[in-house]
Amino acid sequence: MDAFLIGAAQVLAPTTLLYMLMGSVAGIIAAAIPGFTVTMAIVLTLPLTFAMEPLQGISLMLAVYVGGYTGGLISAALLGIPGTPSSVATTFDAFPMARNGEPGRALSLGIWASFFGTIISTIVLIFAAPPLAIFAVKLGPWEYFSLIVFALTIVASLVGHSLQRGLIAAMIGLAISTIGTDPMMGRPRFDMGLEVLVAGLPFLVVLIGIFAISQLVSEVEDAEAIKTGEKLVQGEIDFKTWAVMREVLMRPVNLIRSSLIGVAIGALPGAGGSIANLVAYDQAKRGSKTPEKFGTGTPDGIVASEAGNSATAGGGLIPLIALGIPGSAVDAILMASLMVHGISIGPRLIMDNADLVYGMFLAMAVSSLMMLMICVLSMRSFLRVAEVPKWVVVPIVLVCCVVGSFALNNRVTDLYLLGFIGLFGYALKALDYPLAPLVLGVILGPIAETNLRRALMTDPDWSLFVTRPVSLIFLIAAVLSVSWAIRGIMKSRKQTEKTEEPL
Amino acid sequence: MTIKEEPGEVARLLSYVVLLAVSFGLFLEAHTIPTSRFEILGAGAFPMLVHGTLITLLVIAIAGSVRRIPGDAYGRVSAQIMDWIRARRLVFAVFSFLAIYLWFMPVVGYPIATFAFLAVLQITLAPKTRKSAAIAITLALIFSFGLNWLFAEVFNVFLPRGL
Repeated sequence: MDAFLIGAAQVLAPTTLLYMLMGSVAGIIAAAIPGFTVTMAIVLTLPLTFAMEPLQGISLMLAVYVGGYTGGLISAALLGIPGTPSSVATTFDAFPMARNGEPGRALSLGIWASFFGTIISTIVLIFAAPPLAIFAVKLGPWEYFSLIVFALTIVASLVGHSLQRGLIAAMIGLAISTIGTDPMMGRPRFDMGLEVLVAGLPFLVVLIGIFAISQLVSEVEDAEAIKTGEKLVQGEIDFKTWAVMREVLMRPVNLIRSSLIGVAIGALPGAGGSIANLVAYDQAKRGSKTPEKFGTGTPDGIVASEAGNSATAGGGLIPLIALGIPGSAVDAILMASLMVHGISIGPRLIMDNADLVYGMFLAMAVSSLMMLMICVLSMRSFLRVAEVPKWVVVPIVLVCCVVGSFALNNRVTDLYLLGFIGLFGYALKALDYPLAPLVLGVILGPIAETNLRRALMTDPDWSLFVTRPVSLIFLIAAVLSVSWAIRGIMKSRKQTEKTEEPL
Repeated sequence: MTIKEEPGEVARLLSYVVLLAVSFGLFLEAHTIPTSRFEILGAGAFPMLVHGTLITLLVIAIAGSVRRIPGDAYGRVSAQIMDWIRARRLVFAVFSFLAIYLWFMPVVGYPIATFAFLAVLQITLAPKTRKSAAIAITLALIFSFGLNWLFAEVFNVFLPRGL
């Protein structure tokens, strides 16, 4: 109790709260700009924490972290461009809802879902950190590979109009992920002797090129409309704060399921928000009585994606606090900020620095409350983006994408890649290929390959994939998931045939 | 299939063929990657698995497309594709400006390249009024020289400075 009070006193000190407030705003703004990620925002914040108290510094970084997971939704809803990789699934329903004249409701749904997702993940973090962390680190490469196989079956939910083109897009994504140095032995692959391909295609550059450039360019397809100064989103700019809060709370199953998915995926080292939002969306669609409404602007899609990605913030802290293993790049930076202050991270952290750990739990909850407060109070200003004409938004966001891609690695060659990938993404979009499976392939490809090869290097026996219980469970889940998807497709095909039959 | 849907399907067929050629080439290249003595699967195994699956899917897609497209559709498509390109002239303009911008940025530096890109693209897309031209120039200045200053002075991130 003493430790909790000491931690609380530090987190709730006016200076810390002020820093956290600034951190939340910075996180939201950084993530709202396509090309700038939560990781980048946290890296830029790190040097500022050196002169602070350890808990003060980590509270500031947690505020950026929580704010960042929400900020991605702003560009996802208003521009149709995921501000961060963790808001890819948010674009599926938030953007159509905004385009249907309800941008305020789309944003409000996402913000409330993010808030509840973070709170649920914090509660899980407090009670389940040690057992979940022990489970997560016991998973070997067999289990990871099977988990990725299961995650790949999500493609069935993201295929759009054609299952065939969806699968082709997913395979293109996996193929893109194999370009560059091989992840196990460092052998160069498919670089064609070009320097630009030697390091591979950075995931963020692919994401920006495929989603952002193609979406921005397609905004100018209608030459007449843009010349008249057409706005980005037409419709009612009404936030409806409390009505939407009730709307989110009326979906308790979706909210809790998506948050728990986020916590579980966040707790797995190497996975994270970029996968959690897609898995949560997929599960919400499968569990829905009206799956055909997903992708047209249904609130369930936004709630699932945003609760799922925000809950990874708490999930990622589980292995970090309990075992000293960072689950993602952001967690590694959080760990570094504590190590700078001479605090060793590991199983003894909770025993030696209980006040710090309790303070981190409290900082998570305070950060999410701050994020909610900032968003509710300032969302009207964010929504003004929707009133800006397309001829202003398109060129400026294009420049933001270019700056974001460059700032990632400070490599000029990434800019050329961005141009090519943008053109490729637009071509795929124009040809009606779904883009989400491609991005999923790029995310999952390296994890799948690394774990498959690592498993067979450890033991050449292939049967271990089905004899290890957790791996078997994931594989059975993958088979069930595919069967479920095929059943859904057959059902909708039968319905289409019925409606097409002449009376 | 309606006549309206024909150009899209022909274009997709073309995309399947191009992807098949690329994927087949990469499959063959993956086959030549030597395996390591330390593992059963070499660096080429996973790419071969991916491209093998992709090739199978593309062959099925090509067969399906060829079956769906009527024989006389191919002749009609070229004119429709030209109409499609004409209707999307601004899209091609944006890609051309973007290519020039990205190409020249390392040479002239971020501020000058961005100022020129933003000013030209905004003026091209905007309604032809003095007010919109003034807004375009002001925003171009802010997001070129202003952003460059912000990154250099506040974040210590240096955008391309030019030769």
